[in-house]
Amino acid sequence: MPSLAYPVPTDLSPATVKNTASLFRIVTLALISGAAIASRLFSIINYESVIHEFDPWFNYRATRVLAAKGFYEFWNWFDPTAWYPLGRVVGGTVYPGLMATSGVIYYILQALNLPVDIRNICVLLAPGFSALTAWATYMFTKEMKNESAGLLAAAFIGIVPGYISRSVAGSYDNEAIAIFLLMFTFFLWIRALKQGSALYGTIAAVFYFYMVAAWGGYVFITNMIPVHALVLILMGRFSHRLYVAYCSWYAIGTLASMQVPFVGFQPVSTSEHMGALGVFGLLQIVAFIELVRSHVSSQNFQRLLRVFLVATGLLGASAFVFLTYNGKIAPWTGRFYSLWDTGYAKKYIPIIASVSEHQPTAWPSFFMDLQMLIFVFPAGVIMCFRELRDEHLFVIIYSVMASYFAGVMVRLMLTLTPVVCVASAIALSTLLETYINPVEPDAAVEVVEPKQTNGETTAAAAPSTPAGKKAKKPAAAAAAAPTSALSELVAVSSGKKTASSRGIFGLDTRIVVVLNTLWMLFFFVFHCTYVTSTAYSSPSVVLASQGPDGSQHIIDDFREAYYWLRQNTPEDAVVMSWWDYGYQIAGMADRPTLVDNNTWNNTHIATVGKAMSSSEENAYPILRKHDVDYVLVIFGGLIGYSGDDINKFLWMVRIAQGVWPDEIQESNYFTPRGEYRVDDNASKTMRESLMYKMSYYRFADLFGGNQAVDRVRNQQAPKNIELDYLDEAFTSENWIVRIYEVRKEDILGRDLKSANAFEKGKKRKRSKPITSRRRALAA
Amino acid sequence: MKGLFSSLFLCLGLVYAQQDSLKKLTELAAAGNGVIHLDSQSFDLLTSPKRTWSASIQFTALSKNRNCVPCKEFDPAFSTVGKAWSSVQASDRDQHFFATLDFDNAPNVFQKLSLASAPVVFAYPAADGPRKPASGRTAPTKYDFQDGFDAGPLAQHLSKFTPVPIPYKAPIDWAKWFTTAIAIIGVGSFLRLAAPVVFTRWTWAFGSVIVMLIMTGGYMFTRIRGVPYVGRDGNWIAAGFSNQYGQEVHVVAFVYGLLAFSFVMLTLIVPYQTSPAKQRMQVYLWGAVVIIIYSVLVSLFRVKNRGYPYKLLL
Repeated sequence: MPSLAYPVPTDLSPATVKNTASLFRIVTLALISGAAIASRLFSIINYESVIHEFDPWFNYRATRVLAAKGFYEFWNWFDPTAWYPLGRVVGGTVYPGLMATSGVIYYILQALNLPVDIRNICVLLAPGFSALTAWATYMFTKEMKNESAGLLAAAFIGIVPGYISRSVAGSYDNEAIAIFLLMFTFFLWIRALKQGSALYGTIAAVFYFYMVAAWGGYVFITNMIPVHALVLILMGRFSHRLYVAYCSWYAIGTLASMQVPFVGFQPVSTSEHMGALGVFGLLQIVAFIELVRSHVSSQNFQRLLRVFLVATGLLGASAFVFLTYNGKIAPWTGRFYSLWDTGYAKKYIPIIASVSEHQPTAWPSFFMDLQMLIFVFPAGVIMCFRELRDEHLFVIIYSVMASYFAGVMVRLMLTLTPVVCVASAIALSTLLETYINPVEPDAAVEVVEPKQTNGETTAAAAPSTPAGKKAKKPAAAAAAAPTSALSELVAVSSGKKTASSRGIFGLDTRIVVVLNTLWMLFFFVFHCTYVTSTAYSSPSVVLASQGPDGSQHIIDDFREAYYWLRQNTPEDAVVMSWWDYGYQIAGMADRPTLVDNNTWNNTHIATVGKAMSSSEENAYPILRKHDVDYVLVIFGGLIGYSGDDINKFLWMVRIAQGVWPDEIQESNYFTPRGEYRVDDNASKTMRESLMYKMSYYRFADLFGGNQAVDRVRNQQAPKNIELDYLDEAFTSENWIVRIYEVRKEDILGRDLKSANAFEKGKKRKRSKPITSRRRALAA
Repeated sequence: MKGLFSSLFLCLGLVYAQQDSLKKLTELAAAGNGVIHLDSQSFDLLTSPKRTWSASIQFTALSKNRNCVPCKEFDPAFSTVGKAWSSVQASDRDQHFFATLDFDNAPNVFQKLSLASAPVVFAYPAADGPRKPASGRTAPTKYDFQDGFDAGPLAQHLSKFTPVPIPYKAPIDWAKWFTTAIAIIGVGSFLRLAAPVVFTRWTWAFGSVIVMLIMTGGYMFTRIRGVPYVGRDGNWIAAGFSNQYGQEVHVVAFVYGLLAFSFVMLTLIVPYQTSPAKQRMQVYLWGAVVIIIYSVLVSLFRVKNRGYPYKLLL
């Protein structure tokens, strides 16, 4: 009997321990799901059940179409109100997975006679799927280590802010379901690889298809799995399990993914997907070589192998280059390319560079989103290196790649988060297992013969633990079965002695480490709650500010303005705004827009940018040619809302400059000293631009003679701005949204400027006759 | 009648004057290896409102006592582009001139154009004759050094104003190729010698963990934004939540690494200690390291995020 640090009941039968443990697991998973859902409801409690931000508004609108008209109509939906006058083929330019999911849930609930509003399904979809993500992460981590690590990982992913940031209630975006699909596909891949099972490979392909239908980030899976397979081959770990798993996943997954219209033939024609195809080909070659090896003598084989490898390598590479030059294989798309060459986007695709979630990540964001996990997860990766089974390589590769991507783009923090949770859970559960294990090692000198006490009969029951079950399958035999804390405990309580050259002495050391860890975990929970409730739960459609006495004041300007548009303008009135607000206008105001968040047409966006940054006279023809009836701008100067159009203005200028470099130049919008100012020092072009005028029109009147101050930029606001071609139509309560009506051409055929001057009773200034000077010269 | 004559004469005179000055400019350009060195007189000549040619003019201050570092950095790029231009056919070449104007040669021009900084590049389109732009805009346009001081983007930009594109080709960077080749050979021979070390898993573990730490320390942010290593005021912590300096990468990566290392020690190394007393000491040591360094990290985070409500020991 080994010495124990604390007493352990010895009279429990293994069956009892096992049953209790699995009961605990189920209860814990249920609680984790509850916590995951509950912590995402802050936004509903603090505000209301409303769709958030920008993209979700489009998804919501599309889902409503799907729910009202059915899937077939949705598939063929042409939306004439977006990208006026071009329109948009929605069915072919959208990842339909999200809408289809909500649609199916909606129909099921209807069939059960539960009349739930489609909006509530959309709002609550993300929290619901986060519970599934927790479960998928549990399954994934279980494959890596054991159940207890799985539970920790599930708890982490359930509440970690890095994932909550994209899945609070109301954040109805593709990521809401995509992270679940990502983790579950990875789990199935690992399962397929471990067991060499074509069934699991096929299920992985099915979920891969679901992922492709749901999120553009599926490319991450498309490259992650081949890289894993490639590393396994390079390490000499090729096996028939790998062959079966990869081929079944790739063949079925690729064929399935091509059924999504938006993806189409990309999987066989673009560079992003070529890695997967290449590894598929490589696997065939390697498998063939393995086959030959088993039939040919080793000396001949070496020679054959060399010739064969060189020939196929040359052939494959030249085929790839040839096809790329011929245009059969498209080079990398800009978005993908900008991940490697980070200067690329700013130079060639300013639209991508202008999006705030495409900015690089500074370290505080990492800590904010992952807190203690960010420094525990390298330890987890080290633990993976210690064992280095096939599936551990996956975690290692994933960690390194995702760390890089998350550093390049804030948005990709989302793909880093799951692996951080998994690796941290591996590290922490190893730590806790080591220090909770009651068995004390033998001190260096004494050698104790392990005694067999009450064990013989119960020890025989031990093979029913997972270790024994796995050993039955020869396929899984290569992967050493994980020894769980439970099986160790069972082994201890039944008196079976494990090798105890390593272990912890004493009780105090155990208590210190366990308490320390518990304290860190508690701190993590507090941190997550704080971050979730303050930073990630605001809908950004509704804003809140706190008064000096702590009372909350709701700022609802956006909806106020959009409903004004809906109520007071004709149904076909075209609204021009910067593209950020396109989806919201379409969703809430139900009016045609020129550009929206689906930034597929750079020229069209640049046109809007040009109209915003030109003077009134130059902008007016653009507005009229595009049938614009209303122009909408966001202005935060009154209450200090910093995400307004004046702060985004330089991007409009840059994007317009990209298309019309002769007419719009960024440098003209700065003061001679290179500053971006809005007060009297602002450059002439800036002061004459439509955006500037619309933002500050009559702003100074609010201050009744006092100096008008722009609270975002802390500068003096300009006075006496006159608009000749637009009329102020609506300004919301806090001046965040300002809507202007575009005047029609003057009935008498004058230009609007002089017509305006006439109406104000000003005399038309007669410019000096030009002829006089010439006459003087000639005389 | 007299008026007509005189105006005709005036016109002819103008044409001659134009050709005269064109010839003069061509000579000046040839003398200066493709780039005319201007003073205030020749500047007026080059940018005369009747010019039938276009011009790219660099305004700079190269003399030592001006101490203009960017001017010196940029000057070679402009000269090479000018030189590249001098290799095109004479009929095209003489329609566009490259010129440089030093502040000390003509401060009055700087004043006239109200230039307060250097270097500046203006492109003057032709103001008369067949090459006058269709839009009628003859005002000079400024080159914004958006892509840095390299010659390539400059040539690309200025090609918009020349009759034919500037035949600028980036010189082959022999030094770069050479170092790459050396590096490849070096790595190759190193691998041969050090293969037993390189192909152990712990080398790879070390490498991947370092990459992860550097990346999560915000290295890519500093690369992409090109932030300095420390702030101008000597402060190494940048103000603001989504901003950081280069040194923070090192500090944060080190802190993360130390914490991760403590966990690895506690889990993997300490249990192998066979002496109870030594083991106890190590457990307490690494436990203390975790608590203290974590507190440091949280206080560092509080500097970046002022509203953060929690703090540990510090």
